[in-house]
Amino acid sequence: MPQGSSSPSVRPREHWRSLEQLADTPEARSFLEREFPVGASELPEGIDRRSLVQLLGASLALAGLTGCRKPVENIVPYVTPPEELVPGMPRQYATTMPFGLGGYGLLVESHEGRPTKIEGNELHPATAGSASALMQASILGLYDPDRSTQPLQKAAGAAAPEKKTWADFVAAWKALEGDLVAAGGAGLAVLLPPAASPTLFRIVAALRQRFPGLLLAAWEPVHEGNAIAGAALLAGRPLRPSYDLGAARVVVSLDADLFLGEQDAVANARGFAAGRRLATEKDEMNRLWVVESAFTTTGGMADHRLALPSGRVGAVALALAQALGVPGVAGAGEVPGVPEKWLAALVKDLQANPGRGLVVAGRDQPAAVHALALAINTALGNLGTTVTLREPADVLLPSPADLAALAAALQGGSVSTLVVVGGNPAYDAPADLKLAAALAKVKNVLHLGHAVDETAALAHWHLPEAHFLEAWGDCRSSDGTASVVQPLIEPLFGGKSAIELLGLLATGEDKAGYDLVRETWQTLLAAGDVPGAFDGAFNKVLHDGLLAGSAAPAVTVAPAPLAPEALAGLAAAAATGIELVFRPSSAVHDGRFANLGWLQEMPDAVTKITWGNAALLGVQTAKKLGLANEDGVRLTAGGATVELPAWIVPGQAEDTVVVHLGYGRRAAGRAGTGVGVDVYPLRTSAAPGFVAGATLAKSGGRHPIAQTQDHGAMEGRPIVREASLAEWRHEPHFAAEMVEMPQSEPLWEQHQYDKGPQWGMAIDLNACTGCNACLIACQSENNVPIVGHEQVRRGREMHWLRVDRYFSGTPEQPEMVFQPMPCQQCENAPCEQVCPVAATTHTEDGLNAMVYNRCIGTRYCANNCPYKVRRFNFFNFTKDTPELLKMAANPDVTVRSRGVMEKCTYCVQRIQSARIDAKMAERPLADGDVRTACQQTCPTQAITFGDITDPKSRVNERKQNSRNYVLLAELGNKPRTSYLARIRNPHPELAEG
Amino acid sequence: MRRTHYALALVLLSLSGCARGCTSSRPPIHLNPNMDVQPRYEPQAGSAFFYDGAAMRPPVPGTVARGELRDLVNEAPYWTGKDTAGAFVASVPLEVTDAVRERGRQRYDIYCATCHDKGGDGKGILFERGKVPTPSFHIDRLRQMPDGQIFDTVTNGLGLMPSYRYPIPVADRWAIIVHLRALQARRLERMGGAAPVQAAVPEAAPAAETPSPQVTP
Repeated sequence: MPQGSSSPSVRPREHWRSLEQLADTPEARSFLEREFPVGASELPEGIDRRSLVQLLGASLALAGLTGCRKPVENIVPYVTPPEELVPGMPRQYATTMPFGLGGYGLLVESHEGRPTKIEGNELHPATAGSASALMQASILGLYDPDRSTQPLQKAAGAAAPEKKTWADFVAAWKALEGDLVAAGGAGLAVLLPPAASPTLFRIVAALRQRFPGLLLAAWEPVHEGNAIAGAALLAGRPLRPSYDLGAARVVVSLDADLFLGEQDAVANARGFAAGRRLATEKDEMNRLWVVESAFTTTGGMADHRLALPSGRVGAVALALAQALGVPGVAGAGEVPGVPEKWLAALVKDLQANPGRGLVVAGRDQPAAVHALALAINTALGNLGTTVTLREPADVLLPSPADLAALAAALQGGSVSTLVVVGGNPAYDAPADLKLAAALAKVKNVLHLGHAVDETAALAHWHLPEAHFLEAWGDCRSSDGTASVVQPLIEPLFGGKSAIELLGLLATGEDKAGYDLVRETWQTLLAAGDVPGAFDGAFNKVLHDGLLAGSAAPAVTVAPAPLAPEALAGLAAAAATGIELVFRPSSAVHDGRFANLGWLQEMPDAVTKITWGNAALLGVQTAKKLGLANEDGVRLTAGGATVELPAWIVPGQAEDTVVVHLGYGRRAAGRAGTGVGVDVYPLRTSAAPGFVAGATLAKSGGRHPIAQTQDHGAMEGRPIVREASLAEWRHEPHFAAEMVEMPQSEPLWEQHQYDKGPQWGMAIDLNACTGCNACLIACQSENNVPIVGHEQVRRGREMHWLRVDRYFSGTPEQPEMVFQPMPCQQCENAPCEQVCPVAATTHTEDGLNAMVYNRCIGTRYCANNCPYKVRRFNFFNFTKDTPELLKMAANPDVTVRSRGVMEKCTYCVQRIQSARIDAKMAERPLADGDVRTACQQTCPTQAITFGDITDPKSRVNERKQNSRNYVLLAELGNKPRTSYLARIRNPHPELAEG
Repeated sequence: MRRTHYALALVLLSLSGCARGCTSSRPPIHLNPNMDVQPRYEPQAGSAFFYDGAAMRPPVPGTVARGELRDLVNEAPYWTGKDTAGAFVASVPLEVTDAVRERGRQRYDIYCATCHDKGGDGKGILFERGKVPTPSFHIDRLRQMPDGQIFDTVTNGLGLMPSYRYPIPVADRWAIIVHLRALQARRLERMGGAAPVQAAVPEAAPAAETPSPQVTP
């Protein structure tokens, strides 16, 4: 029981993991008590189609007898070795991942010419050395065994497509282009995702010049169009806003998932966490106010959160603007669901911090709300400090209007040649446009895509697209910083990039991407005539990963008062029926990552659902409809109906249903096909973000959902510790003092770990947003396998680092805390004491070492681990790994077979590598030489790792923090990993007594 | 009786397996795989995927790795042995310290002494056994050759001498040249001759050399 005898002022908070745990049902209790749930040790019954993934590895045949002899391994050296490359020593290349309307600067580790691990580029403003889960997992896209391997042509009337070559396609295009040029481009249409790329922009301009009658639409299902249109409403022309959360003391999110869903999530999270580092009690802390419908990780970080339907957020923005005295705003009444006191406190907070506040509207909010948010920021003086507006340079802006015009032209039969450059419009285009059907009317559909997906099935020519890790290109991030995308390997399947295809169309010449990019950068760099100057400047850009100083200058705007018509629809409308909210999945985004197994198995940050989506409902809404978790529901909107499992999310706004896009794919490969339910049929172009008037009905079926939230829960003990800022300042050591340590001496002499280096880790719960980037980074670095839907239901997910999510408060208005849980590397490890074969031992530098080939699989260590961080290979999950996926494995880490335990090793391969480097350079290890994968990728730098015997190391600094506490310290196992308690910063007027 | 038959059969079977001393062209029997061969690509491994059967891939031409940036405008002599006009540089563009001299001696003995021998007379072990026609370094032509041209020879090869750009990093190539010059100077001193003036500008640079990385071919 938590004693808390010396901290009566810290309000005790009871944390719960799920509604079942709260209700304390017998099932929930038995699930908690067993380390491996009932049936975990039993063989699966019927193997269903979806188990194909784990069947890739899960072989029930006896091991080894199929090939009794030692396999022959050849030594294959380089014929012409590259200069200064030592086999076994990885190199790093700076490149950029184009995504959305920008790109993320990455540093990709390459082993002997093959990319194996993605990290953030510390020099690039969009990532500053971190990488999100999507960025980390994108390497699997390169090694996707189901990607297209060659061009395919489906002649009219043919049953199946024929395999062709790129040269065949070029010849086919040459046959087409004569007529198109003669017609001035009439009949030619291009559909491509919006992008910010100098080369692509230049080539599209050339294309328009060659074909004046061209119909071009830039569109993708999740885009930034509303934010830019909002800026246009205010400033008269499209401008891109970018945010600096580090400069903000008060951040207000109007339905914006700042830390996971928005384009600049990584930079936002980093800036925000910098404002709540709390190294000492005297430090200032920022405050986050969130108004949202779904419960997002941003809502979890909030100090004050209101759950409202997304349709009502506009009214809140109007009320806020009026209260702040924004010119031209009037007529805002009281908003149902928003307490007067809450809004008043928010207004006060913003007014108390002029120039240091920030109001951000979510991507799906209409342009008027974005305009209001910008107007509020302008009125508060935030423009130039926390919000910067810039001219979009080299940007193909998203335009739903162009897409609608294109669809109309397709329906009307005026398009003879449609070129779809990336994207998957047959799957994700708005349902009312009926694009998939319209494609049948086009004589020539040319598709450039990653895999033979839903759109390729309807195309006459399908061309494999080169992944960004194997192609040349360039990118501008959201603040305009220009960078080059450089390939780390030659295209594995001869794929072509978008610029190469469009370059061929625009000029008739088949030019390599390298030449196209260099052509663009001749003008960008303007290096002068000195021989070698351009090469030198270009090589510097390739080396650094960006062109220094290329950020677009800030634009000062004289804001026009908003037109009353624009604001008319925002006043609170009467609630009619259920509001359906569409959100991109944090795992597969809009569906493009469906075949990346790591992402499918990554638990959704809040719901912890893997391998699929669900209709997320609020507590009372579900109760009203009599729905329990996993019940089937029929959801109707936009003239279509889909059936989904229901899932109850504490804290979600009532009368809303949140569904995640990107699931239910029909042609995504072995991991993505048939996973989840496709909700795009419900999404129309009129209401792509949220739509009122949806209906929900119980369908009577049950759909099993694989989720991880109840696995490994720890009952009744203060696992996450949090307090308010005032409470912490009053009782700085509340966290460590929540538990009474037993007054007893150890029975035997304890091993003294005083000779450096001794490794330790500190995880700041105040910075962790629950984004799961660390989970994927660990999986990538340590060759952690995926297990599939069925095995996740049995609690056998293999993630070495899991992110636990706890709620506190009432189910309708809870708060959320995340806690990453790696192996705690206990000095007195309970697991070491029970291993019958000494397969887990302790190293001199404090690591709990796992010796895979000694393990016989008794699983006693996992049984004894109080943190439940040990994962067992129940099957050989890596047997029958496709050849391509073998390339994604880290050569420095063992790929484990069946029957062995595995767990976090503090990235021992990185520790050893740093030790070797230091030894060869004849210097001692310095703080920062070793960075674990999770630490390196965390966008908020929540994880710190280093030598605890070094008094000046950053990890020691964190451990000296008064918020520091160790989990389950009363057990006496002395973990090396400690946590820093979570602090919330409620507004004094709203703080509870 | 049957038990004895079974036991005898088992013993005979195990003995027939040729426990020791037999040769076989097949790999040994390995009953417990034990993660000895893992589904991952290791350095110098083979690959069933790539056309050349190799898991190691060459870097894509034109790319620049972190830490591998070469400033070919301001530091051309260091990386190529030539100045920006294309003429060989006369002397090593490095600060010559004792560490550099020692490194040069060590690397020379490793890479060069097999043909050129430790004293620089060209009578290394490969000359004796393989009859490679290595010249002695103690001739006027090689004493007068600018350092940059020697760098170029080491990097690109010349005649029967292969290119040494792959085993020897750039810094070590210059260190070796420092050592080579020291060998020449010491021999000259022993023979009592005067140090000749090195040719400042050569007649023509040798043609058909492989281009340095980071420059468009």
